[in-house]
Amino acid sequence: MQPITIEERQKAFASVKKPEIIQRQRLPVRYHVEDFCVEDRPRRFLEAFAAILKHSNYRLALDHYIRVTAKCARCSVACQVYEATGDRRDVPCYRSELLLSVYRRHFTVSGVLRGRLLGDPGLTDEKVQEMADAFYNCTACRRCHFECPLGIDHALITHLGRYILSEIGIVPRALAVSVREQLIGKTGNTSAIPVPALLDSLEFLSESMQEELGVDVPFPIDQEGAEYLFLPAVSDFMMEADTLMGNAAVFRATGDSWTIGTGYYDGINYGLFYSDQVMEHVVKKIHAEADRLKIKKILIGECGHASRVAKYFYPSYCGQRPARPVVNIMEYTWQAWKQGRLKLKPGAIAERVTYHDPCNIARPGWIVQQPRELLKAICSDYAEMVPNGRRNICCGGGGGTVSIDEIRPFRTTVGGRSKAEQIRATGAKICVAPCANCKKQLRELMEDNGIDCQIVGLHDLLYKAIIFDSKETP
Amino acid sequence: MNFWLQLGRGPLFAAAFAVMVLGLARLVLLTLFGVAENYRRSWDKIINWKEVAFQTTNWLVPVGRLWRRRPVYSTVSVLFHAGLLLVPFFAAAHVLLWRRSVGFAWGAMPQRATDVLTIIALLAGAALFIGRVGSSASRGISRPQEYFWLILLLVPFATGFLCSHAALTAKAYQTLMILHVYSADLIMALMPFTKLAHCVLAPLSQTVTAVAWKFPPGTGDRVAATLGCADCPTWLPKSRLERFPIDVSDARPEMTQPPPEVEPAAQEVTA
Repeated sequence: MQPITIEERQKAFASVKKPEIIQRQRLPVRYHVEDFCVEDRPRRFLEAFAAILKHSNYRLALDHYIRVTAKCARCSVACQVYEATGDRRDVPCYRSELLLSVYRRHFTVSGVLRGRLLGDPGLTDEKVQEMADAFYNCTACRRCHFECPLGIDHALITHLGRYILSEIGIVPRALAVSVREQLIGKTGNTSAIPVPALLDSLEFLSESMQEELGVDVPFPIDQEGAEYLFLPAVSDFMMEADTLMGNAAVFRATGDSWTIGTGYYDGINYGLFYSDQVMEHVVKKIHAEADRLKIKKILIGECGHASRVAKYFYPSYCGQRPARPVVNIMEYTWQAWKQGRLKLKPGAIAERVTYHDPCNIARPGWIVQQPRELLKAICSDYAEMVPNGRRNICCGGGGGTVSIDEIRPFRTTVGGRSKAEQIRATGAKICVAPCANCKKQLRELMEDNGIDCQIVGLHDLLYKAIIFDSKETP
Repeated sequence: MNFWLQLGRGPLFAAAFAVMVLGLARLVLLTLFGVAENYRRSWDKIINWKEVAFQTTNWLVPVGRLWRRRPVYSTVSVLFHAGLLLVPFFAAAHVLLWRRSVGFAWGAMPQRATDVLTIIALLAGAALFIGRVGSSASRGISRPQEYFWLILLLVPFATGFLCSHAALTAKAYQTLMILHVYSADLIMALMPFTKLAHCVLAPLSQTVTAVAWKFPPGTGDRVAATLGCADCPTWLPKSRLERFPIDVSDARPEMTQPPPEVEPAAQEVTA
């Protein structure tokens, strides 16, 4: 793949911010940030860093990483951002070193001594700015983790770096606004969808399914004691009607009890992208709703990061009581299909279909085979991207960057460049991307790169292939 | 001259060796205690140990894994490491020295194998050096110590090879031998304090990473409280601004400009 041209680079990295805002915030980065105190920024960065080290588990990893890092640059072959820009500042190891060097200089004895001896001024304002830029160039897809012989997880460093930055006020406004609505807003979800609108939308979907399938497919609301509490990415309720209809149809076919809680119905958790505090508070909202409705299991819709947070962080924050199992809807559907409780029509989809693995669920090897088996069962022409599965390439909008609309040129020319090539190479007409973030990013990617490929969720296609019991189908 | 050689081979070697062994043991213990402590602090006890073990062995036994990407570099790197690990322990002269000093030793490699491995290590080291200088990605992330270590590690190999093969005068032999002994002592003494510590820490990396993702509960709130922001969390930037007001009186004019565009580095063939 060719690296981007200079014109593309200028377009991708163009600043959309007004000069006076840059002057006030002293932060020449591409994304918008809400006003924050710029006084003594390096000192406050170090204070935040120290506070986080004191209360968290990061110290072990940082100590380990500064000891073992050998700077072999193997990670450069795994990073789709570096592949596109060819800029050494985008090598994952370089990016991590920004934070690791601060740790080494200010939080290790040898670093402090060396700093004193050599008169090293330590962290500067410029370096804070560089980090603010670099950590949002990374999509936290964790692909480089597989390529590091020494096992360094650069996404963990990105996560920590963003957390520290957020504590001194540097958070993309898009993320901060959504989180504010989710945690203290009236609607309590990131897309600010009020309960009446939710109910209306579900009722409408129910009716259209009745018309299309001739089967009554309900969306159970607030059913106490149901087995599954369903939490999709909340934007699905408004924008991914087909996916939701597919989800409901699967439950109609299997007959399991599930419910959507009106107390809290948002799976999205931007805390994974920039703040442990946000992450914990959001996870606890899920927990409270599950407690309220006396739910047995938590079921996350087609959303990569929501699934990862629920599966891997729900036990962290609500685990002392026996933690509820967390299931992804694709896992559930696949299991029902394997058990024969769900019947699918083979060859229901005639166009060529390909599958995009969302990083957050594919990277740990959690959901890789399940959707593929389902797709192969219903598609007559299924093509794989290369590479795929656990080593897939990120869509370019990971790590919350997809929510930041002002950096769309960056996402579609740099971040998603490899992905666009991959999809083009498969020649698929339909790309299945079971993740709200990936869907938005891939749609913009297809549009900006002029690729004729429809981006859908897995259940959009399953919806067309589900066979209901004969006595119920007209 | 002989005095210096004896010093390097005797007390200095013992001291350097002790520093190496104790220092590396300390690092391993610290890491293991850290892992245990992190694990204890987290509520989430679910770790995919199978995956951790798989990834660890996969990198320690580089079959298949390394050759998938950057095959030339990976092969060279593996050969380099093979030389580094095998020659110091199994060269016939070294084994003999062990037996003479402590009374026991292990089997030595045939001299021919030692020679081949030494030459491979030297060539691979040189190739790695060229690769590091030649690739923009590697050059961009290299600190001075990266070059220093490559050169320092090759000194004992080069001198050792010359000492055992070249027809040298007694004086030249002694000079080279002093270089050989002292460079090896230096490497051992520095090992626990530099990136060479990865010789014992690398097998623990996957475990460390797996445990590091286990966050203890209540971290975020405690961090905010420590920073004096318990009542103005990050999602309330306005209240945080009241706590830390913005001051634009000394804003510098150069900050109004976006950062200068950097020419994209030419894609280079990485070694």
